[in-house]
Amino acid sequence: MATLHFPARAAIAGVGIALAAVPLLKLPAFYESFLYLVFHWIVLATSWNILSGYSGYFSFGHGAFFGVGMYTTATLAGQFGMPFLWTLPVAALVAAAFGIGIGAVVFRVGRLRGELFALITLAVTFVVATVVLNTPLDGGQGVNLGGVRLPSIMASPSSTLYVLALALALLTVWIAYEIFHARLGTGLFAIHDDEDVAEVLGVPTFRYKLAALGVSCALAGVAGAIQAMFVSYVTVGETFSIIVPLNVVLMSVLGGTRHWLGPAVGATVITGLLYAFTAGEYAVAGRAAVGLILVVVILFLPDGVLGRFVRSARSRAGKSARAADPPLPASPPAPVASRPAAPGTATRESDAPGDLLLEVRGVAKSFRGVRALDGVDIDVRRGEILGLVGPNGSGKSTLINVVSGHYRSDGGRIAFDGRDLTGAPAHRIAHAGIARTYQIPRPFAHLSVLDNVVLPAMFGRDLLGRGEAEREALIWLEFTGLATKADDLPDALNLHQRKFLELARALASRPQLLLLDEVLSGLTPSEIDGAIHTIRAIRDRGATIVFVEHVMRAVMELTDRIVVLDQGRVIAEGAPADVMGRTEVVTAYLGRPHA
Amino acid sequence: MTLPSATLLAQAVLSGVFIGALYGLLGLGLSLSWGMLRQINLAHFALAFLGAYLTHHLTSVAHWDPLATLLLIVPGFFAFGALLHWVFARFAITPFNSLLVTFGLTVIIESAIQWIWTADPRMLDSAYGHVKFKLGALYVPLPELLTLAFATTLSTATWAALRFTDLGRAMRAAAEDAPTAAAFGVDERRLSLLLSGVSAAFAGVAGLCLALSFTLAPSQVYAWIGVVFAAVMIGGLGNPLGPLVAGIVIGVSESLTMAITAPAWAPLVSFSLLIAVLLARAEKI
Amino acid sequence: MLELDAVRVAHGAATAIWDVSLHVGSGELVCVVGPNGAGKTTLINAIAGLNRIAAGTMTIDGRDIGALPSHAYCEQGIAIVPEGRRLFTGLTVRENLELGGYRQGARAARATTLARVLEVFPALRAKLQAAAGTLSGGQQQMVAIGRAMMCQPRLLLLDEPSLGLAPAIVLEMFAVIREINRSGVGVLLVEQNVAMALELATRAYVLEEGRIAFEGAPAELLAAPHIRRAYLGEG
Repeated sequence: MATLHFPARAAIAGVGIALAAVPLLKLPAFYESFLYLVFHWIVLATSWNILSGYSGYFSFGHGAFFGVGMYTTATLAGQFGMPFLWTLPVAALVAAAFGIGIGAVVFRVGRLRGELFALITLAVTFVVATVVLNTPLDGGQGVNLGGVRLPSIMASPSSTLYVLALALALLTVWIAYEIFHARLGTGLFAIHDDEDVAEVLGVPTFRYKLAALGVSCALAGVAGAIQAMFVSYVTVGETFSIIVPLNVVLMSVLGGTRHWLGPAVGATVITGLLYAFTAGEYAVAGRAAVGLILVVVILFLPDGVLGRFVRSARSRAGKSARAADPPLPASPPAPVASRPAAPGTATRESDAPGDLLLEVRGVAKSFRGVRALDGVDIDVRRGEILGLVGPNGSGKSTLINVVSGHYRSDGGRIAFDGRDLTGAPAHRIAHAGIARTYQIPRPFAHLSVLDNVVLPAMFGRDLLGRGEAEREALIWLEFTGLATKADDLPDALNLHQRKFLELARALASRPQLLLLDEVLSGLTPSEIDGAIHTIRAIRDRGATIVFVEHVMRAVMELTDRIVVLDQGRVIAEGAPADVMGRTEVVTAYLGRPHA
Repeated sequence: MTLPSATLLAQAVLSGVFIGALYGLLGLGLSLSWGMLRQINLAHFALAFLGAYLTHHLTSVAHWDPLATLLLIVPGFFAFGALLHWVFARFAITPFNSLLVTFGLTVIIESAIQWIWTADPRMLDSAYGHVKFKLGALYVPLPELLTLAFATTLSTATWAALRFTDLGRAMRAAAEDAPTAAAFGVDERRLSLLLSGVSAAFAGVAGLCLALSFTLAPSQVYAWIGVVFAAVMIGGLGNPLGPLVAGIVIGVSESLTMAITAPAWAPLVSFSLLIAVLLARAEKI
Repeated sequence: MLELDAVRVAHGAATAIWDVSLHVGSGELVCVVGPNGAGKTTLINAIAGLNRIAAGTMTIDGRDIGALPSHAYCEQGIAIVPEGRRLFTGLTVRENLELGGYRQGARAARATTLARVLEVFPALRAKLQAAAGTLSGGQQQMVAIGRAMMCQPRLLLLDEPSLGLAPAIVLEMFAVIREINRSGVGVLLVEQNVAMALELATRAYVLEEGRIAFEGAPAELLAAPHIRRAYLGEG
């Protein structure tokens, strides 16, 4: 998408300059007021979308942060005489601090995070309104800002406010654009689709959500500060009404929450519509119409107006951009020596084959009384392919989930490459160099196949920049035979291709240890042959692999060592042919015949 | 801060119980549809207020007995609730999107209320409103007593139905695992329509109670959302007795806070309780 | 009794079951074995009405049931013990069992059927009021089988009932299944525990990658190097 950056930034700047000239045209006051409102709503909707649209954590409390900003300025400028412009950054900070405080508590909750966040933010608005109403901040009479002096940036106060609002709108849209294209944006969109998987792929989900929330609140706070001067008489009822949260949700959803410009488009359209309904009795009808539009849009246009339009444009742009890039190698890349940083050979000096890479001691995990893992001890040596087998329900997948950080163990110790990773959050485990595939593929449904693989490259062991990550992703897509599908969405892939997408994703993070969870189940015999070949190639490049599988043919061909699990415990360990011939293993698999 | 007299405190506790009962009644339908149908029905509040306004209208203009208005409201709202669920199922609305859609619906209904009955506050002047019982030194107004009666009866009846009847068992099973329940003959679609209808009917009853005790204004629709959701979450989703118990706890705490400090701080109580419960109970990442 | 003819079943976007024809006679005990990912669960779920058939016909006693809604299968006399048991963990053991008898045809005789189930699984008597989720794996399996029995089925479907159970309990459970079959109920058993399944069944199918790869008497199957290779690799 590098080629699109310049035109977009230039366009934003161009529009900004054109609009800044409007007050000089000496048009009737109506135009300035109308445009002020458009800018006002662009800021509120776009700032809301930075958290809620990008990450999917819908907040219904944007009014609270807006109100906090409004009252910060009202208090500091109105009651304490602080110069107006100084109150702007203070309003931003106070609103951001408030939002981050809420987020720090709510984002730590495990289940129900999405709905909970929505409802708590809804309740927060009323609580803040109550507090403000009953303290000297407002006291029930409102705050009169008529006496506050505005700096004379333009000829008249209203033109000054117009220009301030314009500047804020440009800033907000620009910030939304930058975040959209930065690591933060990529991470947020991944969180939207599947937060747990994003975390396992290395995205620091808690930190990112807080960052987005902070930015969102700060911008809303400044909008409130400017609005305080615009209305000049600040009351609790008007500030904390349901209009703000309702409108920002509607505008963003209408325009498209997955795009940086969506909310601005929605804001412009809706403000235009609402302006037509300003007269007294129509205000009620206008509100009803807004509600109706929200219902209709959710039911029929879940991606918003921009969503559908942008998706097709982007895939065309992506394809043509890639046509201009140098051609990729036709066959899987040559082994270790010729590639800059193949998995497993990055920066470690102690790369002696056979030393201990992963040490699992006494790991236990229970779910609602069922002991899935009952004290498991496993060693994984560098450079080997370890088979992890056992009947259904023996705990293989649970072990993978615990080692990769998807679950936290109830007891025991996990050491990786000399570091203690017991209880570490999944994204840190990803940074340490462990990657896994999911037995039932869990791609990010709204990201293209390419973007699915770019993400782990950006957040994996080496934390690549976007350009480098894209090149890395394309290499792995080529390797797994998915290069022609790079711009498609995951639901266009069949099961085999989705499993290989899982594989490409795991490889893109350049792991030292690769955990493959039943990557062959559901494949046809010829597909299995291809997969065996690919896995061997991966090991030859220096990765260590733990390979959970039921397809015995593959296990026997590929693995150096096998560990057998049964009912959460290790029952055998050793060379493949030897282990699979032992009676206890045969019994575990085939069952003891009725005597 | 001088402590008020024992009588005043007792009266505060009693009012807390009454307001808590209304929280519970409002929360009952909400808890059922969120816990068992995975539908977060924000429009529940607007619906309750619609019911309240209808009660008010039928009583003041058509001179019906307030309780008789239920004959019209309950079946009408039941049909609406079933229709709402049918739409959600037809469009395969996710639980989260149900929140958004009902948000829009809330605004539509609230605007309709304002259009028809204007924003002027109205208080229902009914025969019930004038009746007050005396319990020792304490006053027990009839409307509040009726609210408590409705809340307790409906909550308990729902709990009993879910616990002891075949239909209730089938609903609980379908709520947990609809495909497996279907394998044993449970028609999840029909049960869901029934449950959704019943939740909406409960909103209608809550509306009657609102009309009897409170001054109505369209903007008031939003004032109840926070505290009732708190009651629902604290009481545990899908538990019919939960909102009632949690509602009463919240109501009494608010009431005592008001009596001891200042009335204005009451909304903070439910919010703080909710945060405390979440921190204590929820799984951390 | 149960006849599947050229049935195709989809799993998500992909076809999981191709052109499968099988039958279970009245009172027969038939098992289906095969490697993981072969489609055994998809197949048995289709027979229970939990998956739609994409093509082919499925009849019971000559009645075409392919187009019926999921909740109508039970009334046709088919009951399932699903993979992983899938008990209603929020309900007590008693409630789970009573729910098994929810269908119209089974409701009248429910008390009697419950008594019979408790005779077969006396250990459950003490656990009737316990929440189903608190029971051990073996006990849960008993409840799941009991729940299916409460439906008074003519055909009992079992999907990997030995999953996650200790060998001793598996022995008991298979004895129960044999008893149920002896009382006249047809059984279709999907199992990973190949040896035990083949002990029990009168006929067996091998399902591989969505197709029937083998049909015949258990003795023939056990003798085939096919099975050992499929499950254990070489040797």
